[in-house]
Amino acid sequence: MEFRFGNDGVQISGEFTFTDHASFKSMIDRLLLDGSSSVTMDLGQLQFIDSAGLGMLLLARDAFGKADRKLVLRAPSGQVKRMFGLTKFDTLFSVED
Amino acid sequence: MFGMRQRKIADLPVEEPAVAMPTPASDGSAQQTALLQRWMALANMQQRVIETLMSEISQTSAFVETEADALSGRFQRLALSAEQQTARVESLTHLAVGIEVEGETVPIDRIASLLEGTLGDVVEKILMLSKDSMSMVYALNELNTNVVRVDSCMKQLSGINKTTNMLALNARIEAERAGVAGAAFRVVAQEVRELSKATSELSVSMQNELNAVTNGIASGRDTLQRVATIDMSQNILAKDRLEVLLAALMRRSENLNGIVADAVREAGVISADVESMVTGIQFQDRTKQRLEHVVDTLDVINQATNELKTSTAGQVPELAGEIAPDVEWVKALLDRFKLSDMRARFVAQLLDGQSPDMSPDLQPEQLAPSSSGSVELF
Repeated sequence: MEFRFGNDGVQISGEFTFTDHASFKSMIDRLLLDGSSSVTMDLGQLQFIDSAGLGMLLLARDAFGKADRKLVLRAPSGQVKRMFGLTKFDTLFSVED
Repeated sequence: MFGMRQRKIADLPVEEPAVAMPTPASDGSAQQTALLQRWMALANMQQRVIETLMSEISQTSAFVETEADALSGRFQRLALSAEQQTARVESLTHLAVGIEVEGETVPIDRIASLLEGTLGDVVEKILMLSKDSMSMVYALNELNTNVVRVDSCMKQLSGINKTTNMLALNARIEAERAGVAGAAFRVVAQEVRELSKATSELSVSMQNELNAVTNGIASGRDTLQRVATIDMSQNILAKDRLEVLLAALMRRSENLNGIVADAVREAGVISADVESMVTGIQFQDRTKQRLEHVVDTLDVINQATNELKTSTAGQVPELAGEIAPDVEWVKALLDRFKLSDMRARFVAQLLDGQSPDMSPDLQPEQLAPSSSGSVELF
């Protein structure tokens, strides 16, 4: 998985699996330092996510919730979109097309 | 058919009379006698035709009755089969609605709903498991960081202890050099050295414990990593596939339901039609009675003709004796017949003078259309 910080959040690309847990946590810690009320995670270039990746997104959601901030997932596609649909992620996150 | 045939016979061209004409006579009496002879010849032939027709009608009626009975039997068996078929198709309705489980029919849509709920629950638990696993991975990482820090502290403590021990040793040396004056200092140096030794032993013990904790954390991380790296995404996607399968199963169930409903309806129509046909065939009896009336009427006409013929012959002696039929006229009549077996019977009875068989017990195959010739096959 690769990520690049932008103005309103971060853009993630590649494949998001268990092996990315350390870098993902670092990325979330950095985003939590940012003071904006809403952070957008652009998933348009993310090709694959496994169950560990879904678990990490849920932990990130909790962390943002504790900080009274909102995590928005944007433009999931392909396998990622199917996984979001099957796990009803749209009821847990704010998911934008 | 008989009516049609009769009309056709009535339409026969009026040809010359059916008897040889006598030599023209000069007086009117001879002409009248000749005319009467023609009438008598025609009456003879009409009688033969009537008798043959009566025979034909009786035999045909018997044949129709036999065939109708056989047909009625077949239709009754067909009605029974149709009824059984309807019952079987109706039982299919039961199967199309759902699956029988422990004596209870569970509808397909309810099965789909149950499976969907179960799968949803499984997916939710997979998510929770993944989240908790990753939370533990993070916690163990934090713990490992702390353990590394403690390990570093232990190393610093060990260094301090070595320095303290060295200082105590130096203090002991200096106390020995001072002699009596350093006696008290010697005691303090000894105490410090023993304290350092105890601290060192405690430090070694703590290091051992810490090593055990570190090994435990490492082992836990390895185990957790094996759990967390099990990708459950395929299991989640299985829900997608199962939902597609369930939707297809429900569609098939609905289609099957519709087809079975149509089949039940059509089976009912077939049963009703067959019953109606059986009832219709039973009206053959009425047809038989009508034909019997026709035969009876023809018989009366025949008798009347015979009586008139006898009384006429009694009053006109010239009419006594054999009157030759007009063979050509009869042949022209028989040429109109399309059925060869019927024609053969008429030839035998009209031209060859055989008596018609009035028995209704004629075998059906003797009346049935022959297998040769396009006309007989209809």
